[in-house]
Amino acid sequence: MSIGKILALDKVATFFNIIRQNGGIRASLYKLYRQDELKDGVLVGEDKYGNKYYENPRFFYGRNRWVEYSDNYNMNYDGSQIPAEWFGWMHYKTDLPPHQDPSRPHYKWMSDFTENLSGTTGQYTPYSTTRPKVEAWVPKPKTSQ
Amino acid sequence: MAGALARVIQGTKSHLGLVGPLVNISNVPVRCQQTQAPPTKSQYGPLADSDRIFTNLYGRHDWRLKGALSRGDWYLTKDILLKGTDWIVNELKTSGLRGRGGAGFPTGMKWSFMNKPSDGRPKYLVVNADEGEPGTCKDREIMRHDPHKLVEGCLIAGRAMGACAAYIYIRGEFYNEASNLQVAIAEAYQAGLIGKNACGSGYDFDVFVHRGAGAYICGEETALIESIEGKQGKPRLKPPFPADVGLFGCPTTVNNVETIAVAPTICRRGGKWFASFGRPRNSGTKLFNISGHVNTPCTVEEEMSIPLKELIERHAGGVTGGWDNLLAIIPGGSSTPLIPKDVCTTAIMDFDGLVAAQTSLGTAAIIVMDKSTDIVKAIARLIMFYKHESCGQCTPCREGVSWMNKIIYRFVEGNASPKEIDMLWEISKQIEGHTICALGDGAAWPVQGLIRHFRPELERRMQEYAAANGPSKAERLY
Amino acid sequence: MLRQPLTRAIALSSPSRVAPLGARRYADAVPAQPEKVEVFIDDKPVYVPPGTTVLQAAAQVGVEIPRFCYHERLAVAGNCRMCLVEVEKSPKPVAACAMPVMKGMRVKTDSDLTKKAREGVMEFLLVNHPLDCPICDQGGECDLQDQSMAFGSDKSRFTDIHFSGKRAVEDKDVGPLIKTIMTRCIHCTRCIRFASEVAGVDDFGTTGRGSDMQVGTYVEKMFLSELSGNIIDLCPVGALTSKPYSFAARPWETRRIDSVDVLDPLGSNIVVTTRTNEVLRILPRTNEEINEEWLSDKSRFACDGLKRQRLVTPMLADSRGNLTPVEWEDAIVAAARAIQDCPPDKLLAVAGDLADAESLVALKDLVNRLGSENVYTERDFPLEGSGTDLRSSYLLNTKIANVEDADFVLLIGTNVRFEAPLLNARIRKAFIHKETDVAVIGPKIDLTYDYLHVGDSASVVKDLATGSSSHEVLKRLDAAKRPIVILGADQLKTQEGSALLAYTQELALRLQDKLQDKNWKVLNVLQRSAGAVAALDLGYRPGVATALAAQPRVVFLLGADGGVVTREQLPKDAFVIYQGHHGDVGASIADVVFAGAAYTEKRATYVNAEGRAQQTLPAVSPPGRARDDWKIIRALSEVVGERLPYNNLDEVRDRLGQISPALVSYGEVQDNNYFAQARALSKSLQKPVSGTLDVQLKQLEDFFMTDPISRASPTMAKCVQAVIKQKSSVY
Repeated sequence: MSIGKILALDKVATFFNIIRQNGGIRASLYKLYRQDELKDGVLVGEDKYGNKYYENPRFFYGRNRWVEYSDNYNMNYDGSQIPAEWFGWMHYKTDLPPHQDPSRPHYKWMSDFTENLSGTTGQYTPYSTTRPKVEAWVPKPKTSQ
Repeated sequence: MAGALARVIQGTKSHLGLVGPLVNISNVPVRCQQTQAPPTKSQYGPLADSDRIFTNLYGRHDWRLKGALSRGDWYLTKDILLKGTDWIVNELKTSGLRGRGGAGFPTGMKWSFMNKPSDGRPKYLVVNADEGEPGTCKDREIMRHDPHKLVEGCLIAGRAMGACAAYIYIRGEFYNEASNLQVAIAEAYQAGLIGKNACGSGYDFDVFVHRGAGAYICGEETALIESIEGKQGKPRLKPPFPADVGLFGCPTTVNNVETIAVAPTICRRGGKWFASFGRPRNSGTKLFNISGHVNTPCTVEEEMSIPLKELIERHAGGVTGGWDNLLAIIPGGSSTPLIPKDVCTTAIMDFDGLVAAQTSLGTAAIIVMDKSTDIVKAIARLIMFYKHESCGQCTPCREGVSWMNKIIYRFVEGNASPKEIDMLWEISKQIEGHTICALGDGAAWPVQGLIRHFRPELERRMQEYAAANGPSKAERLY
Repeated sequence: MLRQPLTRAIALSSPSRVAPLGARRYADAVPAQPEKVEVFIDDKPVYVPPGTTVLQAAAQVGVEIPRFCYHERLAVAGNCRMCLVEVEKSPKPVAACAMPVMKGMRVKTDSDLTKKAREGVMEFLLVNHPLDCPICDQGGECDLQDQSMAFGSDKSRFTDIHFSGKRAVEDKDVGPLIKTIMTRCIHCTRCIRFASEVAGVDDFGTTGRGSDMQVGTYVEKMFLSELSGNIIDLCPVGALTSKPYSFAARPWETRRIDSVDVLDPLGSNIVVTTRTNEVLRILPRTNEEINEEWLSDKSRFACDGLKRQRLVTPMLADSRGNLTPVEWEDAIVAAARAIQDCPPDKLLAVAGDLADAESLVALKDLVNRLGSENVYTERDFPLEGSGTDLRSSYLLNTKIANVEDADFVLLIGTNVRFEAPLLNARIRKAFIHKETDVAVIGPKIDLTYDYLHVGDSASVVKDLATGSSSHEVLKRLDAAKRPIVILGADQLKTQEGSALLAYTQELALRLQDKLQDKNWKVLNVLQRSAGAVAALDLGYRPGVATALAAQPRVVFLLGADGGVVTREQLPKDAFVIYQGHHGDVGASIADVVFAGAAYTEKRATYVNAEGRAQQTLPAVSPPGRARDDWKIIRALSEVVGERLPYNNLDEVRDRLGQISPALVSYGEVQDNNYFAQARALSKSLQKPVSGTLDVQLKQLEDFFMTDPISRASPTMAKCVQAVIKQKSSVY
């Protein structure tokens, strides 16, 4: 075991490496604030919404792939903003990111991905199929006056 | 039908307290209040010609007023009327005459119920000429061949109960009888025998004929009253009895044609004369109708208490193929239970004698069936009749009789479970006595008679059917 | 089937067909009872008057005898045979419903014979009854179901189900209210007896005999009666069920709230059946003093009108004059601004037919606090003489239950049959069972019983009052021991109304003074609406015509849908506030609409035609943003700046009690006095009259749609169509 290891100098090196990779102290603090964690890793790809996908096998399985959401989302990011093509890679269904996977079909009828809009104004609300119990009176519109 | 349905009175006698609180009625027999010692006769019948009441029963003589007068009708009627209510009622009580419609209620007593203090309502006499009981054909003989006996009887009975009018409810099918009767009434009116100042006695009495429309149930006294009132012929609840609230809400007595028709003769010849026939409490002469498998079917006037066998052999020429060919006899019209041959041999034709044989005198319409008869089918046909004639008012009769009809027709072919025989017995018991009128009883009794005496025959048929067709579907429920 | 001679004869002795004695004060019409007889029910001694039936005697000791055909308000039929009981010394079981008790009778309701008889009858009834309980609307409230559980056999032996099966009967069409499934009929004939005895429509009967017997109308015909719905309640099985309620709910799923009906002036007691905040049906609730156990068709079936044409949100006219939904705040502020801008003498409040006492008092207090006295009712009533100051002048003083003790009834200008169907049922009951005679002044109408038609001219009343009439009626009235005179309130809206009322008072009080029975009241005025009496009690002034002539600037319509106030009568710039629960005549002319609650949605006080205060209870909540009526006015008062001094219902009712204690003594009715004073005051008004008396509701089709609720009801609309169609039929 090297002395560096004993003194955890590699951890210090990793720390600085992370800071550097994330763009300096200010940027790192911002990322830490936004994402509650700060990691270093290889940028595997970026989807068309601006989300960046990273991988670092140093972290244990399950934590070694992650996404940094596009800055467009600000603090309002959530898991459903990962588009379908990246979903498989994020969930270890495949190790090939979409842009490297030749078997991915691309048809022109495929619609764009939409995130889950629950809890937002754009959410889906089902309409009632039952008749209203009470029929309200609708006043006759006045034609004259 | 006649009073066969009125038999309900037997069951509800204790209720009569409401009608005539003065009359002591309980379940102990008080059938007849005879004052004299019962005659110590042991031989009943044959009836001497001189003792016959219905001397033109076969229509060999003139039935109109002239002929009737020659036979002694309307003789001294005025005197009888003038002797008054009490005398007539007493004479009837002495005679021991019991209602000839089937129930056998003492006539004198029935008439005396009408003599309560008046409350201003008129009183009516209703004569039940709705003779619908299968096998019975005695009243029609009276009405077509001796109508003046009935008209005179109406007058005397009306006098006895202070009635202002008599309504004769005649069965719709009796067209000729109604015509004859109407002619007789017209003759009597013209001769001043009825109407205003009837027979010169100062008593006003009208007689009306009302033709029915052919419903058996209209022979039940309250249904008959409803029918005269123009309503559906459905029996009323009793109480109130007709003697309280009857025709048009007024006190009414309903009597059978024969009962009324014998009254004048009883009054002329005396109650004691009438009482000298038959056993005590069953006195008098009676019209017997003998039909079915006999050599000469007939209607005959005979002394009460004549043995059944003698009656058949003397007047009906015996059973076809001899007495040994006899299978069963229905002794009192279709609503009475049948009796098999061994009982027939000893049966006495009167009220008590037939009750002892677990049947009833009814209208004394004897239906003889010899061994060629399909006895189950015969009874089934009777039940079908009752099913058809049930008025549908009360539940046990409406539902029960049609159910019995379904079952017994399966019995005819044997497509039934032997356990259903007991079930049918129970159903008939559930109908009997639970209905408003006696039609339910009349429908239940033939079935009971059949099961009582011919159970092996029923079981044999079921076995035969099961052997031929496999077990009946009725077994599934057991 | 009405056995007139028989029923009349029996009625003399049977106490069953008149209301229980407790409910009526004039029970001495029944002849003095002879001493009671002792009978034993299951060895329990009970003393009953002679003529009582075994069934009634058993009920007195708490022994319930099962029955199907027997009904205490109908003639005895005795045909179901379910009530057979053993009586000692009787060879056969007797029908308890028809058998009068006899001294010392020993009845065994629990013996083997009795049980066997019941089981037998039960079996027979089920032989031809379809076992379709799972799809039967009567399921859960079916007498046959209950009694077969209690008294029936535990197993079936109906083997013929494998052979011929059960009887089936074609259904009948008796109109849009009653659904018939005649296969289920057990021929108890209750519906027939109800139709001929109570409803007075001899259309029902039986055809056929024996097992082919059918209950029906012979030729297919609508049951043309205003009381037809009651046969649904009477039917012990599911043969007659409610068409509007069919397949809607099971009785155990529903909540039942006792309430009071407001669609006629009698205030019949009802039970409102609800589920999931929805009124499903309305049933009558027994009240011997008002509706016995009947209910008119309008009260029973108009409840689906509570779900149509409702005002569910406050509305305000926009710049183009179209009413648009707004928040409560906006509506109230707009109304308050209009009221504040209005001089007090130009402020007018008009109360309609269905207004409850709480909102009436709140509105009146508000208007008074604003300095105005202009509170009016839509319905007219003469103000001359004693006017509305004496309660006796506008109430049904005889009281509804006592009507059946009357021996002569004079109806002046009223069609009781449609204005107050259950009052008419009482008169008919008296007519049938007590030989009461009826005379009518007014148009010739079908009242379901015979009456003496005296004429239709108002002068007839004058002649009777002054004693100058030579008509037989005057002699009959003078000879009567308990006469009553009922004047229809509709007659009072004409110019001659005051004179007519004066003559009626004169006639009635002249008769009343001669009576031996000093407590008997002769004078009756039959109001037309449920809210009328409360409004008059609270000091609302009848007749809005004069107030409209004063050109009001702000008009507050409290449920005024009678069409008395129209836009044409008001100045162009008048501001109309409408408060109510239905979008009807009133709401369509309004500038502001306040959504109020209907009678099933609020706890409110209504005073019926005899002056009896009763309260409705909320069965469901008001729809949408509708609110309790008095609360809306209370809220308005706060914005207007004249806060009303009550914050909850109890305080409103305290205020009602201050005005008149009669308004809050629920269920009771006070005797009216000051007849003599009213008569004296009316003397001067006895002017000559010449008009003819007419009534508004003449035919059955007029009866169904008379108020905002029933006008909104599809069922009532169907009834009107069906009646008109039936009338054009040859049958």
